[in-house]
Amino acid sequence: MFGRVQIIFDQTQLRYGEHSALAPLTLSLSEPRIGVIGLNGSGKTSFARLINGLAKPTSGTVTLDGLDTVKDERAVMAKAGFIFQNPANQIILPIIRDDIAMGPKSRGLKGPALEAAVDSVLDRFGIAHLADRRPHELSGGELQLAALAAVVVTEPGVILFDEPTNQLDLKNRAMVKAAIEGLAQHAIVITHDLDLIRDYPRVLVFHEGALAFDGAGTEAVTHYVEIVGA
Amino acid sequence: MKTRDLVLIALFAAIIVALGAVPPITLGFIPVPITAQSLGVMLAGVVLGAKRGVLAVALVILLVAIGLPVLSGGRGGLGVFAGPTVGFLLGWLPAAYVTGRIAEGFAGYTFAATKQTLGFIAAAAIGGVLVLYLFGIGYLAFGAGLGLEKAFYGSMAFIPGDLIKAVVAGLAGRAVMVGYPILHRSA
Amino acid sequence: MRSLYHDGRTVMHRLPAGAKLAGLMVVAVLLFLTRSIPLLAFAMLATGTIYLGLGQPLRVAIRPLVPILATILAVVGLHLLFNGVEEASVTGLRLTALMLLAASVTATTSISDFIAVISQAAMPLERLGLLKAADIGLAVGLVVRFVPEIITRYDAIREAHRARGLTPKAGTVIAPLIIATLKDADSIAAAIDARGIRGQ
Repeated sequence: MFGRVQIIFDQTQLRYGEHSALAPLTLSLSEPRIGVIGLNGSGKTSFARLINGLAKPTSGTVTLDGLDTVKDERAVMAKAGFIFQNPANQIILPIIRDDIAMGPKSRGLKGPALEAAVDSVLDRFGIAHLADRRPHELSGGELQLAALAAVVVTEPGVILFDEPTNQLDLKNRAMVKAAIEGLAQHAIVITHDLDLIRDYPRVLVFHEGALAFDGAGTEAVTHYVEIVGA
Repeated sequence: MKTRDLVLIALFAAIIVALGAVPPITLGFIPVPITAQSLGVMLAGVVLGAKRGVLAVALVILLVAIGLPVLSGGRGGLGVFAGPTVGFLLGWLPAAYVTGRIAEGFAGYTFAATKQTLGFIAAAAIGGVLVLYLFGIGYLAFGAGLGLEKAFYGSMAFIPGDLIKAVVAGLAGRAVMVGYPILHRSA
Repeated sequence: MRSLYHDGRTVMHRLPAGAKLAGLMVVAVLLFLTRSIPLLAFAMLATGTIYLGLGQPLRVAIRPLVPILATILAVVGLHLLFNGVEEASVTGLRLTALMLLAASVTATTSISDFIAVISQAAMPLERLGLLKAADIGLAVGLVVRFVPEIITRYDAIREAHRARGLTPKAGTVIAPLIIATLKDADSIAAAIDARGIRGQ
């Protein structure tokens, strides 16, 4: 349904003053499941934020299906969903259903079509019973699923996950892992949870602001453990 | 308006509402508990500056107007605006603005601690007490027909308490500037 | 947070929000222009009848008015002491009538109706580039969304104090509360922007 999404980094670099968050990087991503691992400060979060335009490159370009993240910012953000680490801060309206409806509503969808879209995504992630609840009452995992529903309902081609299970317990982590696995669109998952990405066809390892390894999941994890000396 | 500013304004309005919902808190050096909501209003100007501070307070007043019981004691609704003390509510707007303007002059985390704290206390007192009471007493005098003298005598009992709140607000403002500075010169 | 709206099918309920607000403002001006006690007494009886006829249980109807009535009575008392019965009556009747009519609008207008009419009224300001009308509804939603979290955080800060043998005081609770809450602003804003909600 969503087809291939191609992301291209062309000599992309991210610096904050003196500090290099990401050394010049050139690569192309199009696999349906991509993992990104590395220590805190390794550059993996900068990498993720460059893809949907939350961060703009200091030099070089990032394009998503030909759209430039600087020049076509809005179009890029519409195509790339983003799930953040803190589940609670992604739900911005007091009732789950209204929060999920916000995205399509601001794009002009209304009435029965809007309701149908929201109901469909609620069922999809098994949280229909939480639709009329307050976010305050939900567990971390339930909130992440609600956040995921709110993103999926806007039909992005690729979804970026920035440490989605970091603040979750084991049970909630399993819920979110299953949800990611079942996604029709491409997923790029930045994580400390190596189990999440071990089976992915492609995993990038970042270390000290640069790409250290690019290959299959299991090899990447081995390489990562080695570099880190854990 | 930047999304971050919109969120800061909304979060601060939520803080003002939350401070109205919790029980009165003790000051420590005086055994009398205070209702913290008006403290929150003084702090809007000190922490966010004039423009964002006024908008945060305006948002709270809007919530009252649309029927949410967000004022301390669970008060809300358009009926509140019919009461004789409404000047003290609408007065929050010029109060937050004046507090903010003065506080901006003392902004920056490299500012000398004592000078900044005193500046913030002055900002909270001039905006949160002087300007606020001007509007509160003004409406009591002319809107509720009490006349300036009676309106003033009726309100002055509350002034010492509010001046103490201004000191607390100044100190808290300094602590926020150290911990998470968002006030800048021309906010 | 429970709003003061009370669902019903009365005439007031069915009037559009804009009309009710405009009408309220007109009546407010008229009430302040007259000093006629018979007229003001009639206004109070009329507005009282409207308010009590909205279908709210008596306790629900009276509760939000009590604190306002208390301040009105205090002012009436001061008037009786210093200015005489006439002044006391004019002010008392006038403010009470206004309060009852205003409370009637509140009780018969839902939050979403209010936001719709306010967003519409803000359109001229949007055209002037001063603000975005849709931001108003978003801001209200954000406040209602995060108040419970802030209260929870407040309780947690107080508990942390007690765990260390300290009394929670305004001086040591309020600043941490503000800092912890405002630190969330960046991640909340990022989530809003990533979802393209503000359409920029």
